[in-house]
Amino acid sequence: MEYKKILVAVGGSDADEEAVKLACRLAKKDKGKVWAVAVVTIKRALPLDAEIQSEITKAEAILDRVENITDEADYEVETDVLQAREVGPAIVDEAVEREVDLILMGFKYKRHFGQFNLGNVVPYVLKNSPCPVILYQQQAVTE
Amino acid sequence: MPELWSHKPGDRIFRPRRIKRFRLRRVLGIPAVFSAGYGNVGSSIYYALGIVALVALGATPVALGIAGVLFIFTALTYAEGTAALPEAGGSASFARHSFGETAGFVAGWALMLSYIVTISISAFTIPPYLGFFWEPFKDNIIIGTFTSVGIVFFLMMVNVIGIRETSFINVGATLIDILTQVSLVVIGFILLFDPSRLWQSIINNWPSTENLVLGIALATIAYTGIETMSQMAEETKRPEKSVPRALVLMIVAVLVIFAGISLVSLSAMTPQELATEWARDPVAGIASNLPVEIIRTVLKPLIAVLAGTILLIATNAGLIGISRLAFSQGTHGLVPSFLSRVHKRFKTPYMAIIVFSAIAIVLLLPGFFATDVFANMGALYAVGSLLAFMMAHASIIGLRIRKPDLPRPFKLGWNIHIRGREIPISAVIGLVSTAAIWVIILITQAYSRWVGLGWMVVGMVIYYFIRRRRRKPVDEWQVRPGETAEKKP
Repeated sequence: MEYKKILVAVGGSDADEEAVKLACRLAKKDKGKVWAVAVVTIKRALPLDAEIQSEITKAEAILDRVENITDEADYEVETDVLQAREVGPAIVDEAVEREVDLILMGFKYKRHFGQFNLGNVVPYVLKNSPCPVILYQQQAVTE
Repeated sequence: MPELWSHKPGDRIFRPRRIKRFRLRRVLGIPAVFSAGYGNVGSSIYYALGIVALVALGATPVALGIAGVLFIFTALTYAEGTAALPEAGGSASFARHSFGETAGFVAGWALMLSYIVTISISAFTIPPYLGFFWEPFKDNIIIGTFTSVGIVFFLMMVNVIGIRETSFINVGATLIDILTQVSLVVIGFILLFDPSRLWQSIINNWPSTENLVLGIALATIAYTGIETMSQMAEETKRPEKSVPRALVLMIVAVLVIFAGISLVSLSAMTPQELATEWARDPVAGIASNLPVEIIRTVLKPLIAVLAGTILLIATNAGLIGISRLAFSQGTHGLVPSFLSRVHKRFKTPYMAIIVFSAIAIVLLLPGFFATDVFANMGALYAVGSLLAFMMAHASIIGLRIRKPDLPRPFKLGWNIHIRGREIPISAVIGLVSTAAIWVIILITQAYSRWVGLGWMVVGMVIYYFIRRRRRKPVDEWQVRPGETAEKKP
């Protein structure tokens, strides 16, 4: 398959690193373009354009880390901070708008009440994505 | 990044890769905007009918009808304004663009009043509907008011912590709401509607002219959703098209359902019954007066649960609306900056939520002692919302004169040409009539006059001090001009 446009959704977990590296490898092959987006969620009690400095700084730091990774991988990536009410719809919408061929997401193994849990974002993206999705799951840390 | 590029001492750090600091992801479509608006309007059906009947008696459908015509004009004005300026703030934003910061503040402050009253009035009408399950909720004013205060307090806590709320829930609730209201209207028309009895009821209980006008004024409470829809513009996809469409859709839905419910209610009970026994829960009154036992058995608990839920959502929507508006006004330096403070952990505007919930609770307190608190709250709501509607009409006319070339994806027709400017007739009629009703309420209603004008005076004093403390010329108060430009399509 050919991946000319790849969207990587990053959230600050360790899994992001591998997801970004994988995106660069896949894009390099087809000389494609990679976008990395970090989504800042804004509570409904605030207007969507509310600037919450701490959250924006956090998102910028995540994207700075992405840029360092892509520098090491020797590939250029465009990064963007998005403000949205929810992460899932924001990623899907971004994918639709940019007409990407692939969404790549890093995912950390999580347990909720003793059960393996995917959270809300991953199932939403898998269900609603307009394109193939690759999910990179970080190895579970054994305690 | 070019390899030769490097920082020099004194260089400003500039990041070309992120041209805008962040981008807004707008995901709402017409159904979500419609449901948010109808969520408000649909909820007001559960109490507006009773408030109007308190003063307009037999002429309740007439008052609602006349207010409905005004509602069409106002909705059209909002459609043009929102399409041209798709940002949070509604009429406050129109006024700021048209007449400057002070007008923007006045409209925003008036809107805040109507949001606070929406919170109080919705919370106040939840217990009577729940009276189906436990009668003291309806019959005992102490228990009822105490429950309302508890509801506002509970929602305040929930909003300070910040809950996940999906538009799916809103769309679902709105759909069930519309279905129940439509079925009630259809069942009511089949089982109860009697034109001659209705006519007699209207004629025999025709109010005085003063009461009729007041009834029309109070009927504007039924049409609260316009502002909410306008506020949603900033998170709507292609707001210039979808918001006007959602507004038009709402005009049709609201007018049909309000006409139906008001006619059925007067067929089901006398205006006196509607204005006394069922004033706070008129829809439950209709269900209780249906002649078929089985339908009554099904509908009564259904309406109790549904009205309770919808009114709870409306109370919450009021709280969310006011905190957003306060934050938006705060970023333009139009309200004290502490109201824009965001909680470190919960990321919510906790100060705005706590302050406005406390004011809403204060408005509920007379409910422990007085019986006329319900009508007073209705009139107070009308004072705030009519002022905001007036500002909206005036701003649309002002924008036509001052910024005739502003792109208007939705432009009102039926214009008169004055010195080369197109003035929309509907906005002029809307402005004149809302202004007239506003003045009449201020003259006739002592509570609304003093509380409403007191609120505006307090606001102006706060505004004066904010301005003086910052010591900045008025024209420089466009905080973050880049941000405003960024939002435009």
